[in-house]
Amino acid sequence: MGKMGPYKPARLIHGIPGFRWLMRAGKRTTHILEQHGSGTSQTSPQILSLVREHTRQIERAPSGSQHILDLGEVPRLKGLEVAALLRLVQQGKDRGVTVRFIGLSAQAQQAFTGLDTSILDQSGQLPAKLSFMEYVGEQTLDAATTGRRLLEMVGELAYWLFLAPWRGKGIKWDRTVEQIVKIGVDGVPIVTFLSFLIGAVLALNAASQLRQFGATIYIANLVAVSMTREMAPLITAIIVAGRSGSAITAELGTMVVSEEIDAMQTMALSPGRFLLLPRILALLCAVPCLTVLSNLTGVFGGYWIGVILLGLGSRNYLQQTGQALLMIDLVTGMVKSLVFALLIGLVACYRGFYVHGGAEGVGTNTTASVVASIVLCILADAVFTTIFFYLT
Amino acid sequence: MPTSDLSPYVQIEGLVAQYDGRTILDGISLDAYRGEITVVLGSSGCGKTTLLRHIVGLLTPTAGRVLIDGHDFHQANEEERENILRNVGMSFQGGALFNSMTLEENIALPIIEHTKTDQETARMLARMKLSLVGLERAAHLLPATISGGMKKRAAVARALALDPTLLLFDELSAGLDPITARELDELVLRLKEQLSMTIIIVTHELGSIQMIADRAVMLDAGRVLAAGPLDEVRQTDHPQIRAFFDRRPRPTTLQGGLLDTLLVKGEQHGTEST
Repeated sequence: MGKMGPYKPARLIHGIPGFRWLMRAGKRTTHILEQHGSGTSQTSPQILSLVREHTRQIERAPSGSQHILDLGEVPRLKGLEVAALLRLVQQGKDRGVTVRFIGLSAQAQQAFTGLDTSILDQSGQLPAKLSFMEYVGEQTLDAATTGRRLLEMVGELAYWLFLAPWRGKGIKWDRTVEQIVKIGVDGVPIVTFLSFLIGAVLALNAASQLRQFGATIYIANLVAVSMTREMAPLITAIIVAGRSGSAITAELGTMVVSEEIDAMQTMALSPGRFLLLPRILALLCAVPCLTVLSNLTGVFGGYWIGVILLGLGSRNYLQQTGQALLMIDLVTGMVKSLVFALLIGLVACYRGFYVHGGAEGVGTNTTASVVASIVLCILADAVFTTIFFYLT
Repeated sequence: MPTSDLSPYVQIEGLVAQYDGRTILDGISLDAYRGEITVVLGSSGCGKTTLLRHIVGLLTPTAGRVLIDGHDFHQANEEERENILRNVGMSFQGGALFNSMTLEENIALPIIEHTKTDQETARMLARMKLSLVGLERAAHLLPATISGGMKKRAAVARALALDPTLLLFDELSAGLDPITARELDELVLRLKEQLSMTIIIVTHELGSIQMIADRAVMLDAGRVLAAGPLDEVRQTDHPQIRAFFDRRPRPTTLQGGLLDTLLVKGEQHGTEST
């Protein structure tokens, strides 16, 4: 230990067997690491704990100092060990401390084969933080892109619906029917069940209030009007958005990811004609039909509560329902359901066609599709109800 | 090998492709000749697939243009585009088969849509194309239930569905067993000789290149390193091309630039301290 060349022994760090730390006097401090003994039992926890210890040293070291690690007894280095050592160099660099190695065996040097100094650069790791104005600008551009793409989609729809059939490229009815079955027919049980429950719940809630005035028969009015004008279109839209909107986004998104859409385009099969239009048409057909079903079962739910539980009398209830319902209520509901269908379809297809980022992108866009279409449907509903309120 | 009186079927002029600020293709100009097999070579990530996608019009060039039989896809109207595409068959790297359809339906789809044939004839033709690639027994299987190599062959069959004049294969024989790869090579040669199709293939298989290529194009970092008849390209003494044909790996230094900066020179420090 006596003959140290330019280095002087400084202190011993306990707890790391086999390593001695030497500190050079003066401002330029150098820590030398050595290993006693044969060194054959060099294992990664030791290297890693050494690196941890050194990291602490570097944190305390003054800027401009130099650390030298003697790895002379290390027979070979594993990937994780090299990474830890390089990270140490990087941390040193950040604090103005130079970290260098000494005495690497030829075999340990192999672990550095082909590595370039650029690996130590941290540039590109952290995305540049945007200023507020840049953020607003980016969001605006994103919104503009979304708007343009949606408009393109509507244009595409219009083309394949109104123009193309006169140019010998008819609507793909077989695919449309297939979608109607998926969206409409397969959705019948859940729409029936939920609408019945909603109708029944409306009737029960109304009963507890109306009973106080002895006006329980008006449950029929309440259930009929609120189902047809409001609940049925909305419930149906929410069910369809959850069941079919998500399915459409996931299906189209997966097709994008697996290059199926690209393959279609190279075969001159337009995704607009084969995928987009059938789905939108199917929704425009299925959603109003499901809404009618929802109307019927919802009213029946109210009827069931009214007649069985509240003893209102079957004929009375039906008569009251007939008197309460106006054509305008039914029409309002149908108009709403058509708009909801279009919203769900556009959002689901847009989200599906513009998936990027593989499987994760499909998941993200499917969630976004359902959330956006439900939000848009309820927003549209609010707008409609306000308009109809002032019109009638 | 290349005959003299050929005219280019695909002309690419100064093609530049940039996405998100990254330049993928940087001024590519090359021709693929009628009735010839042009092989596109280059290490992964050099823009080969992007080049193919530009040829079929899936991507719009940032600059430059691509002409197929004298027509620019991006200048064409809907009808002209369809005519261009009907004469182009492309097989994608991963197959890109329609997952909801059986192999037979996959291949019958473009036939039914673009010709006036009835379903049964289209299916017969689809089975014919499948037997070309040795998949006649798998006609009724769904893409999800077959192996990657089978998907690739099915994709080749689908690219052939409409007997196109231009065929594009992305990574034709990658990941296939040697016998199937050889069969595909022979199929490609047959297509060229019997139907005088123009074929552009992205491949890495040296054996396959020697066997089928008339012309070769070597790409590197979005630029054309060399292009021309295979023999000419093979004899170029550009180090990278030499390395490719001689199967030499990229030179890696044992002590890369990193170690030189990290090591303290002079081992005597270490020896003295002990």
